[in-house]
Amino acid sequence: MHIKNIFCFLLVVVWHNQYAQNDLLLDAQKLCNEKNYEQAIPMLEKVILHPETKGDPASWHIRSYAYLQSYKQFGPANTSKIFMLDTAMTSAIKSISLDSTNSFGENNNAFIKNGAATYYKIGSILLRDSLNTGKSEIYYQKYKKYTAIINPTFNLKQKDIEYYNTMGSIFADLYMRNNFDQKHGDIAKMALLKVLELDPKNISANINLGILYYNQGATLMRMMDYDVDLAQLDVIQENAKKLFKQSLPFMIKVYELDPKAEKALESLQGIYSALLDEEKANEFKQKKEALNKK
Amino acid sequence: MQNFDPNAKVKAVFLYNFTRYFEWPEKMKSGNFIIHIIGTNNSLSGELNKMATTKQVGNQKLEIKNSTNLDATIKPHIIFLLNESSDLLKDISAKYKGKGALIVTEKGGLAKSGSAINFVAIDSKLKFEYSKTNAVKAGLKTSEELKSLAIAVD
Repeated sequence: MHIKNIFCFLLVVVWHNQYAQNDLLLDAQKLCNEKNYEQAIPMLEKVILHPETKGDPASWHIRSYAYLQSYKQFGPANTSKIFMLDTAMTSAIKSISLDSTNSFGENNNAFIKNGAATYYKIGSILLRDSLNTGKSEIYYQKYKKYTAIINPTFNLKQKDIEYYNTMGSIFADLYMRNNFDQKHGDIAKMALLKVLELDPKNISANINLGILYYNQGATLMRMMDYDVDLAQLDVIQENAKKLFKQSLPFMIKVYELDPKAEKALESLQGIYSALLDEEKANEFKQKKEALNKK
Repeated sequence: MQNFDPNAKVKAVFLYNFTRYFEWPEKMKSGNFIIHIIGTNNSLSGELNKMATTKQVGNQKLEIKNSTNLDATIKPHIIFLLNESSDLLKDISAKYKGKGALIVTEKGGLAKSGSAINFVAIDSKLKFEYSKTNAVKAGLKTSEELKSLAIAVD
């Protein structure tokens, strides 16, 4: 149900119960109807403290609505006014807990669903902002929390896979674009490993992890100065080798899951070549060439 | 994956290191320091040319030459015979005997067949075999220290 329609419904509900409610609630309700949330909110703050109305699910429900609409007036996915969205959500939850007759159930759920979607949207936007990755996860966790409340059977595992795969891809890309900055690489790795915990056969996460480990090894080599001495060169080769070897199982997994995955064939050729196993590198080179001939 | 060949970089670092462990004849200490690659490896050529823009050997500028066959007009300090050109080793080692060219190869057994340095893959790492005898034959003064870092073949 659309939020505007919900509001008309609410107005009627509150109007019918007006004699049992404090006048303040009714006044706040009217202000909400006029979209004057700025004035309605201080009234609703009093309503939820007033002995006559604080236990009324309608008080919390209207408060939720007022905060939700007021939050939206500040523009989509606004983080500076996020307390308004938070207040809208906690108010809807409070209304549900007081609503023994389930008079506002459908509308409260719609509010929460709307809020959860907003949290998800904010989380997705912040995900693309490398300075706010941590915050992104906070909003994503809020999305999960409220989604689970209104729909306990919702497949959050699938959503986790999508979210952390997106995070992994974004940071793997940032890692490449920011001169192989370790910080971005580590975040990508953490996110992609989370995906594989939930879905070990996830092709995208396996490919990205394989590439990430390979790139980290290659970066060690690339950053090396030409005049490092031979002892240092041996240490750098050893460290890079470990990373190349770490990339292998992820790429082999992709190949096992999809033997025609060109990216896996090409990557395996590169990884084996970096490991100086020319026989294996050629094997995958030929497989890729054979695939392209078909 | 990033467009970068780790093995080309390692070989470039090795080649640059070798310039510290050998002494070339006096007549070769002026002009550019020439590394001549025989064979085709675009990654390696690219890496060495990149190296040549920032490094030099003593006062000598690095210059990278590349051909698919022996080029008598080039007076190299280092000749790197790529795997595909290994068959040329016998001719090259004879031609450059005593002329002060360090011959580097990358095929099993070649340090025993004429090259002074031969790259080998051991446990997924690039290492090198070293033949002091072949280095001396080539007209180079050698360092004992290099032997301790290499797989000595003689």
